[in-house]
Amino acid sequence: MAKNKQMKKLKSITILLIAGFLLASSCNKDNPQPVDNTARLTLSFYHLVDSLPIDFDTMKYVNAAGNPYLVSEIQYFISDVTLHNTDGTYHLLDAWEDIHYVDTDLYETFKYVLKDSILPGTYDSLIFTFGISEEKNQSLMFVNPPESNMFWPEYLGGGYHYLKLNGKWKDTEDIIHPYNFHMGIGQIYDPESDEITGFVQNYFKVKFHYNLEIEPGDTIFIPIDVHVDQWFENPHVFDFNVWGGDIMQKQDAMQVAKENGHNVFQKSMIIGD
Amino acid sequence: MKMQHLKQIFTFRFSIKHGALLLGFSMLFFNACVDDNNIDEVFEATPYQIEIPFGFPTKLNIPENNPMTVEGVELGRYLFYDGRLSGRNHPDSLMSCATCHRQERAFEAGVDHPDFPGGFPHGLTGLPTHHVMLPMINLVWNHSGYGWNGFLYPNNPEENLRNIEDFVRLTVMAKDEIDGDTLQTREMIQSIPGYPELFKKAFGSDKVTFVNIGKAIAQFVRTLISANSKFDKYMRGEVQLSQSELNGYVLFTTEEGADCFHCHGGFGNPLFTTHLFYNNGKDTEFTDPMDRFQISKDPMDHGAYKATTLRNIEVQGPYMHDGRFATLEEVIDFYSHDLKDSPYINPLMHHINDGGILLTPTEKEDLLNFIKTLRDDDFMTNPDFGKPGKFPDEK
Repeated sequence: MAKNKQMKKLKSITILLIAGFLLASSCNKDNPQPVDNTARLTLSFYHLVDSLPIDFDTMKYVNAAGNPYLVSEIQYFISDVTLHNTDGTYHLLDAWEDIHYVDTDLYETFKYVLKDSILPGTYDSLIFTFGISEEKNQSLMFVNPPESNMFWPEYLGGGYHYLKLNGKWKDTEDIIHPYNFHMGIGQIYDPESDEITGFVQNYFKVKFHYNLEIEPGDTIFIPIDVHVDQWFENPHVFDFNVWGGDIMQKQDAMQVAKENGHNVFQKSMIIGD
Repeated sequence: MKMQHLKQIFTFRFSIKHGALLLGFSMLFFNACVDDNNIDEVFEATPYQIEIPFGFPTKLNIPENNPMTVEGVELGRYLFYDGRLSGRNHPDSLMSCATCHRQERAFEAGVDHPDFPGGFPHGLTGLPTHHVMLPMINLVWNHSGYGWNGFLYPNNPEENLRNIEDFVRLTVMAKDEIDGDTLQTREMIQSIPGYPELFKKAFGSDKVTFVNIGKAIAQFVRTLISANSKFDKYMRGEVQLSQSELNGYVLFTTEEGADCFHCHGGFGNPLFTTHLFYNNGKDTEFTDPMDRFQISKDPMDHGAYKATTLRNIEVQGPYMHDGRFATLEEVIDFYSHDLKDSPYINPLMHHINDGGILLTPTEKEDLLNFIKTLRDDDFMTNPDFGKPGKFPDEK
């Protein structure tokens, strides 16, 4: 009997010990964690006109064609961020989750914190897609605002705007017009019937050359300057008097924008911790 | 021997006593890791699940402190329709939400309202409302502010001006609406047999509070979902649009056509509104003390108002914040050739220097026919959204 009693007591003590251990370990924040040998990457976007932060809604800028203009808002998508290694390999970050929305009215969107970790090593370039690739640009993939407000009508090719750059410009007679410099899937129209006979993908890749030595545990911040004036300047001078203020249904104008877009994004000094 | 003992210890069967002991410790473990909110009584109502229609947003605007419940929605429906929400019971002093928000007019007054000629509502005192009404459609997906200028918005530093719950309080107190007071309303509802029991079921207490009145009505309003118009069926591949409707759809969604979609949505935004605020070229002078500028203080928001949803717009006249247009035909004429320029015109109004989108009579008809495909009769006849057969004291 005594032995049985002793046994029961021992059982109870053991349970208490196990539960106590559970309790202690569950709230212990100081448990040794596995060492993270990877690094992290954040892109930050700075929106500029004439190399200075944008003064919105002020008719103070003049583009390369001599059109006075103001900027009201900019919204766009960045996707397919890829780091290229010196050995020829590359690392696509965040795969299908990698479409980032930037909106000059939403400060929190200026930073793109990549979720994937990066393996330490030497990388010589960073490439991203401006807009969304044909494969990924599927209608209704964003159902929540603000991204859903970027939808590109089905009739015009579907998917999403790559870019909405809205503002106003002044013509040669000093009349102010709105402009909607919007990019997305372009259309080819039959000159006779005006029916759409085909679509054109206008997304493009932006490449920055770096010499990135990434060490384990690094957090790399890559600032990217977004030079809005370059949409209208280099290599093609974009004249609002020629193209008008709206370009969603003008593939030739979007082609100009596409070729100018490579110069819109420029690298700035990298900051690491 | 010792090893055998230990083996016995770790392989014994759990007795009830041991189970209870472990349960007690599990509770300790649980309590040790969560904030103690000192919840005296555990109250559970039946969760109300909102089904997300095809293509609709998945993010809902439901405040954390007012989760949707079946009981809350049921109570809210009674209160929405009960004229004693005014805090009075004299037949001349009854006023509820439904006095103005009529289901058959997509929860607007409508130009044919029996008491508000032309759809211009006034309160119990006869004072007209500052603006005409906005519809109550799919409001659970509105994150950008309620009201024509969005004065109630989720992160408002003024915590009592954030959501539909606050709208209920403001409506009861407003001189140009119910002109009541929350205490009087609360006492009235408390005194009506049947209501205290419904509050008990919905919120765990039969003591009526005005906060819970607001919560219940807000829950009901969040159930008012329209997603079964002809266009919804077209989106789902169930029906085809007529040629005229399709022509109108192309006009609606093209920049060189009518370009409605940038503000009013479409296939990719089936709410048919961005819920954002635009100066759409109605005026050249802006003196309204309740435009968007008064909230945002952004000078470019002078004369800007919410883009309304176009769902059921056919029955929602009069149109614009001041109800200046009685018919959709007048609205289309305005966008076609009557736009007025000002420094505050939104850049999306890119046809402004032509005076509008310059539609031909056929194009106007096509556009109108497309907009009419957004009419959802199921929404306007759904018995779950209608007036209850009997109020709680009539059962």
